[in-house]
Amino acid sequence: MQQTLKTINMKKKYLYILAFVIIAILGYNSVYFKKLSDVKNANKENFDFKAYADSIYYKGILKSKKTIALTNLISSVKTNQDAAFKKYGNRLGIGNSAYFMIKSTGKIIDIKDGIYTIADEKNGVVYIDTKYIFGNALRDASGLVKLTDFKTNAQFNKVSESLNDIVRNEVVPKEIKKVKIGDSISFSGAIKLSKKQILFTDLLIIPSQIKLQ
Amino acid sequence: MKIKQLSLLILTVIFVFGCSSKEKSEKPKIAVVVSTLNNPWFVMLAESAAENAKKLGYEAKIFDSQNNPAIESDNFENLISSGYDAILLNPTDSDGSISNILKAKTAGIPVFCMDREVNADDAATSQILSDNYSGCVAIGIEFVKELKEKGKYVEILGLVGDNNTWARSGGFHSVVDKFPNLKMVAQQSGDFDRNKAMEVLETILQANPDIDGVFCGNDAMAMGAFQALQAAGKETKVKIFGFDGASDVVEKIREKKIVATGMQFPKVMAQTAAQYADEYFKGRKVFPQRVPVEVELVNAANIKDY
Repeated sequence: MQQTLKTINMKKKYLYILAFVIIAILGYNSVYFKKLSDVKNANKENFDFKAYADSIYYKGILKSKKTIALTNLISSVKTNQDAAFKKYGNRLGIGNSAYFMIKSTGKIIDIKDGIYTIADEKNGVVYIDTKYIFGNALRDASGLVKLTDFKTNAQFNKVSESLNDIVRNEVVPKEIKKVKIGDSISFSGAIKLSKKQILFTDLLIIPSQIKLQ
Repeated sequence: MKIKQLSLLILTVIFVFGCSSKEKSEKPKIAVVVSTLNNPWFVMLAESAAENAKKLGYEAKIFDSQNNPAIESDNFENLISSGYDAILLNPTDSDGSISNILKAKTAGIPVFCMDREVNADDAATSQILSDNYSGCVAIGIEFVKELKEKGKYVEILGLVGDNNTWARSGGFHSVVDKFPNLKMVAQQSGDFDRNKAMEVLETILQANPDIDGVFCGNDAMAMGAFQALQAAGKETKVKIFGFDGASDVVEKIREKKIVATGMQFPKVMAQTAAQYADEYFKGRKVFPQRVPVEVELVNAANIKDY
């Protein structure tokens, strides 16, 4: 009887050990420890730039209250250049120029090779470039993306490429189908102004939106 | 006896304070470690950094890494053991230079990168870099317009281990690749070197004699490309584009022999790096990790300004 009890106890002991070993193996294989920096890097590598740019464009740029009327911007720059650049412009790092997000209205007087020549109601002739929507103009003029949001410049520039793709391939082609020479339009977009600039003629706008009035 | 003891005490005090005041009067030393002194652009960057450091009251010495991360590593070991207080670095390799920067960081020496980015945002104290991508977007647009959206072209890349090479190439292709009638027939590295670029293009021209344009990742290579095209009698037919804003290329733009370049500002980068080192010594410890410096497009339309 005592022998049987001893055998049962031994079996129980082995079962416990076996269960512990199984749990330990399962536990070891189901939990991984990684460096936080590695996880963060992996996340950035899988980052959905298209979705991010969509959100910047539709929820940020189109709804932005920072977009300034072109005539007000020119007037502010003429009055106090430094203050206007600081208040309305965005310059990443060091340079003489800054990007601004502006809006205005006018009449289309010419269309040639993607350049829409506009007789702006208050600012003379300006040009909207619907073809060469490249670079960081829209991203930087929006002021919505910080350099520190991304680990490398390459990632930061990828935001611009995705944002430009949306505007160049999706937004602008639909909008320019509805307009022709002689139409009055409202428009918004990015312009680059230099601190060396004295004249405000021949302004080139990278559009974010063109609407038939 | 008391006088003797007093004299000894006074002498000891003079000795101790004398030594410490000498230490305080010693100027901090700044090392300028440059990827190569075999290219005038980097010579200007290094000399300008050293000159700015000296103007701010520091000792400064230039170390040449000869485009070799191993030599850069030796330079770092030497200057860490020699007691340098800050490093203004133009790295040789975007990955290979990280371990060198970390060695300095461990030794408590701040490193300010100039012109070339390393693939880490927690190694250098700050990185002051040309905005290569934006500059080459502007060149890409100019390229598409000049070639009227069609033709065959060659790209001569810089050093493949350098981030600037890919930032420039990336900016250029972000534009040019959207125009399907522009076909890249060859893409090869010229290592940012004039002679290498000339040899590379000479070989490419044998298989592709009918190219319309060449985009070079720097101006030294653009000059090499010009020489190769001149030797082949094609310098008026093939449009050449560079990047840097080197004086010889600016002259060639004036003569309408090269179409455009991106004007970088090495003196601004060098001055900012030296200024940051000065601010670090004076107590500032937080710096922006990356500071882009604007690049300006130089072409026939605005050459009078340069």
